[in-house]
Amino acid sequence: MAKVLMKGNEAIGEAAIRAGCLNYFAYPITPQSEVAEYLAKRMPEVGGVFLQGESEVAVGYMIFGAAGCGERVMTTSSSPGISLMSEALSYIAAAQCPAVFVNIMRGGPGLGGILPSQGDYFQAVKGGGHGDYHLLVFAPDGVQEAVEMTMNAFTLAEKYRGPVMILGDGMIGQMMEPVEFPDNLKSEPSNKDAWATSGMDKRKSDKRNLVRSLFLDPTELNANNLALKAKYVQMKKEEILYEGYNTDLDYKVLIVSYGTMSRVCKTSIDMMKEEGIEVGLLRPRTLFPFPEEAIFKAATRESCKAVISIEMSMGQMVEDVERCVRGQRKVDFYGECGGDIPTPEKIIEVVKGLL
Amino acid sequence: MIWINNVAGYGLKNIDIKGIVIICGNYGSGKTETAVNLAIKRKRDGIDVKIADLDLVNPYFRTREARVLLESLGVSVILPDRQYMHADLPILAPAVAGMIQQPSELTILDAGGDDVGVTVLAALENHLSKKKVHMLQVVNPYRPFTEEVKGCIRIKEEIEATSKMKITGLVGNANLIDETLPEHIYKGYDLLKELSLETGLKIEFITACSNIISQLELDRFSCPVLEIERKMNPPWKRLRNKGV
Repeated sequence: MAKVLMKGNEAIGEAAIRAGCLNYFAYPITPQSEVAEYLAKRMPEVGGVFLQGESEVAVGYMIFGAAGCGERVMTTSSSPGISLMSEALSYIAAAQCPAVFVNIMRGGPGLGGILPSQGDYFQAVKGGGHGDYHLLVFAPDGVQEAVEMTMNAFTLAEKYRGPVMILGDGMIGQMMEPVEFPDNLKSEPSNKDAWATSGMDKRKSDKRNLVRSLFLDPTELNANNLALKAKYVQMKKEEILYEGYNTDLDYKVLIVSYGTMSRVCKTSIDMMKEEGIEVGLLRPRTLFPFPEEAIFKAATRESCKAVISIEMSMGQMVEDVERCVRGQRKVDFYGECGGDIPTPEKIIEVVKGLL
Repeated sequence: MIWINNVAGYGLKNIDIKGIVIICGNYGSGKTETAVNLAIKRKRDGIDVKIADLDLVNPYFRTREARVLLESLGVSVILPDRQYMHADLPILAPAVAGMIQQPSELTILDAGGDDVGVTVLAALENHLSKKKVHMLQVVNPYRPFTEEVKGCIRIKEEIEATSKMKITGLVGNANLIDETLPEHIYKGYDLLKELSLETGLKIEFITACSNIISQLELDRFSCPVLEIERKMNPPWKRLRNKGV
């Protein structure tokens, strides 16, 4: 298929359709409203449903309902909206239902602002909702990658029977780039007869399925949590994604950065190269599971004297970077979180300060 | 190809548009990039230019991002007050009505996308109805919903119904940003000709990015070509383009 020019938000909507998602529930919020606007037009064309909930709390449980029935389902929102959905996220994780959540982050905390931010790293990676659960979290750095990650998200949500999150900042949602939709990323829906409340008419067995997050028996609850834990262990083995940039050379500083922030870092790295300064970048493409070993290896390369986490936050991922580096190098941090994305010049100034 | 930079507009014809020009079109068709570059081109031609950002729909990549550049070239820019610049609110600067009543030689109104984006024009109806207005629909056939003539006409009709105004001309803005090839522009022009035939609307001009314009066979086009120097760039590209 020929390339088209799309906003990240539109492309995420189209990717969901191409992945076979026919259920989309959402509530508008800048800077992600174009997903809803796009799917309001597109869903009827493919026989799908877009329903606007009366709030993000309602949307979270609409997602739970559809996922429990074994349907491919997605919602999109931005930071404060994801906060409202976090209770449902915890329930969906506990009930082991596949669903795709997209957070096009805006500045926070509170209502914050409508410009790009990466302030929801903790929320996405460390919980957000209550209890022992994780989301599989993808962090695209552009529109094409957002498409591919969204399409994959449906497959992986079913593989692990749990919620998967696409974590993009406002820039990913709003910028336009040429994209294509690879056919090979569409997966056949998995067989959900063993667990989904999809009705008895099409099922071969008489087993009644129950989707629930309440386990009053402590042994049963513990077993459910152990089952969740086993999935997270498997994700750490099978799903870690990252990109190295300029990491095959002897760099003096290693930047760890994700999303659109990493693209500014790449520009800075190219510019410093012209001055004869080599700097490497390790970009996590999944934030959970986190590329722990890759960061350790990149940070402990002999030439590397310093590591810095650069984020559009006040310092969140840096805690994970420090953990991965295991005290072998000093880990610095630079971040802004008002909505103005740091410029390449600013990054260069910060990195040169480490040399 | 140094000579080409001295030509005030490419193709067989020059862009000599004057008066009040409203730039509309579907969401993401490139209205702002077109409006800003048209303003710069006409200012360089030596005429007085004013531009207003009427985009109440899109929160990012608006005319306001090119404010400093436009003002340094002597183009008057009408925007909401600075304190509301990043408000997610539909604010229409009162000065817009004033600029319609007392227009420059060229007065550009950069509207928002789709029918929703031109709702604001209905609010200005009292001022606009007394003037002769060019209302130009920008078309990029590489954008969703306008890949075919049918989709372009649907957008046209929706825009006309909401704005209570008639579209008077077409602008071809076929591009895939950095991945645009001459064939994309030719294909876009062919679609625009079909659209022109179907609607009876004149093609005012088409656009082409400065890095590709020298590769184009300009005699293929019977309309002028507006050179686009991209102003709406993400931050990782800004510095590389600082000379622009």
